[in-house]
Amino acid sequence: MDTVTDTTAAHARDDEHWLREYAREHVPHLLVIALFAVYPPIYGLLLRTPLSAEANAFLPGTTFLIAMLFLGLFAMSFDFISGYTGYLSFGHAAFYGVGAYFIVLVANGDVPGIPAGTPFVITMIVGGLLAFGLALAIGAVSFRLSGVYFAMITLGFAQVAYELVRNWNYVAVNPQDGPTLSGPTPEIGIPYVDSVSIALGRLAGDSFENVLGLGIDISATLTSYYAIGAVVLLSYFAMQRLIHSPFGRVMIAIRENEERAAAIGYNVFWYKMVAFGFSAFFAAIAGALFAAFSRGASPDETFYFLVTADALIVTIVGGIGTLAGPFFGTAFYEWLEDILSSEQGGLAPYLRGILPDGVLTADIAGITIADLINTVVDGRAPLFLGIVFVLFVLFVPNGLLGSVRDRLGNTVGKYVGGRLERYRR
Amino acid sequence: MLLSTHGLTKRFGGITAVDAVDFTLEEGELCSVIGPNGAGKTTFFNLLTGVLEPTAGRIEFSPTDPAAYGNEAEDGVVDITDAAPYETALLGLHRSYQITNIFPTVSVLENVRIAVQAHRGGDSWRFWRNVNAFDDHVTEAESILQRIGLAAEADRTAENLSHGEKRNLEIGIALAGDPDLLLLDEPTAGVSSEDVGQVTEIIEDVSEDHAVLLIEHNMDVVMGISDRVAVLNQGELIAQDEPETIRESEAVQRAYLGGYDPDGAATGTDADDGGESGVSAG
Repeated sequence: MDTVTDTTAAHARDDEHWLREYAREHVPHLLVIALFAVYPPIYGLLLRTPLSAEANAFLPGTTFLIAMLFLGLFAMSFDFISGYTGYLSFGHAAFYGVGAYFIVLVANGDVPGIPAGTPFVITMIVGGLLAFGLALAIGAVSFRLSGVYFAMITLGFAQVAYELVRNWNYVAVNPQDGPTLSGPTPEIGIPYVDSVSIALGRLAGDSFENVLGLGIDISATLTSYYAIGAVVLLSYFAMQRLIHSPFGRVMIAIRENEERAAAIGYNVFWYKMVAFGFSAFFAAIAGALFAAFSRGASPDETFYFLVTADALIVTIVGGIGTLAGPFFGTAFYEWLEDILSSEQGGLAPYLRGILPDGVLTADIAGITIADLINTVVDGRAPLFLGIVFVLFVLFVPNGLLGSVRDRLGNTVGKYVGGRLERYRR
Repeated sequence: MLLSTHGLTKRFGGITAVDAVDFTLEEGELCSVIGPNGAGKTTFFNLLTGVLEPTAGRIEFSPTDPAAYGNEAEDGVVDITDAAPYETALLGLHRSYQITNIFPTVSVLENVRIAVQAHRGGDSWRFWRNVNAFDDHVTEAESILQRIGLAAEADRTAENLSHGEKRNLEIGIALAGDPDLLLLDEPTAGVSSEDVGQVTEIIEDVSEDHAVLLIEHNMDVVMGISDRVAVLNQGELIAQDEPETIRESEAVQRAYLGGYDPDGAATGTDADDGGESGVSAG
């Protein structure tokens, strides 16, 4: 009898241990989530201090924060297939586009069989499933190839889709500009329950004033930020779950050595297909969030191959095969874009503001400083990102997160968890 | 009868790499396949495991669990002539490679564990459970590491192992599939002479509870541990008998010692059939 109670007690201790370990390993996650949650109010406060000019110039504004979220999710979905199975999905923009177009078309009542009033969350998921199916169709052909040929054929499919939607009069009056959302504002939350749904959008979304009597105003944009952030977070944890499952380990085995994976008994074709389907699903979710927030979608912002290229670049910068890395890569990119554009503050207006007129009009080899700022700073994020990309490929091939993991010898979560465990004792 | 081939033939264009081979293997047997470079040994393995499709002939296999592949004949005999590599693996036919073929950037344990997981039915399609929750996979993988002498290296990244350790891991991955028949393709390839003994021990140990088909160039190993030796030359099965008899066989000695003409030497289909063979027969 004693032994029985002993083992139960040991089990209880084990369970607690397991839970604590779980919590410890998620400390970095919690820190990142907290950072993104408290950033907007802090940013808002900074704008009221004497440092407002600097904050405005060097810290990302909310519009860019939201772009970080849905583009980050898209980049993570790209990494899910490309970084974990080794198959570069160069046509990933097509899935993003499917998600974006689907919610707009449904909201406009243009999809037969689906009423225009269908809640956004449901259409978003249906759009994801549609992308899943499209990925299976594309994959059935493309997974006969590997390496650069796979990349090329998926790119080809995406370009076909791009040309199709660009010239398809049904989707919009002017298909080259894409459809705009004319229905009610998309809401994130529990379908059909108004009190737990939050409307998205820059202008038409929900806003809250004087939250909890704390004097904090949450603008419509900020509300959208938190709602979209919740979906992105859920999607991230879902993808992480998949990667840490036995299925995810097969994906990694395929990346490491596909021939051997087949030789030990895996029907690699179907594992690749399903992995491709999942990544397409989350790409479509990202596209739906984008379209809901911007109340429309254009072919050039969704189906176009440069959309995939951006995901590829931020994936390399953030660390391929790390899942969270591409998100940080996107954050970095959007931050750079904010600093170098003048849409929300930025470096160019800041420099124009603080530099004395004498300096601005000073002539260096036939060009004034002001001209120089306009030419090389304002709106030049892609240029600098290109330089950053080249430097990363040359000197930090594993990307930001990949290099950190190499340095720590483990994932950040496991490492921090281990350190905390030691301090606890 | 565990495995039998009937008139198994593979042609690459005008070259016949495997030529009408009739071969059978009994359960529990350790049979070595020898022959000069380009004799068709690795091609023979590739045919058995479904990597290559035979030009002609038939392969039959009697696994413990014939249900793993639909094409079942009577008496539990399965025709695996057209089976894909993953299907032969699920039936219990596992192989190691002449050129080390592992999962380089994951841990040694994961290399073996992923192979264990492969024959755990639907486990690989469980999307929502953490892989660490499958204790039995890890336990089995650990016992295999114990068996191949790599228990202490479990957490190391596979690519950082020494060559000899990688050769052992190569066998371990094949072993993890719970094979009925283990095909070992030159397990001692590139292994230093001091370490050959250790690899041999592993093979002998494994052959205790598995049928083994072994391609090997080291004649000390072949003659020391085989129940039977089959000799391939230019794709043909020219002899199969007990090691002692093979050692004395004139036909075998001819095949090895300049017995094959320049035309025959051109049948180098086993392009990856390791350079120096270290043949010391006779």
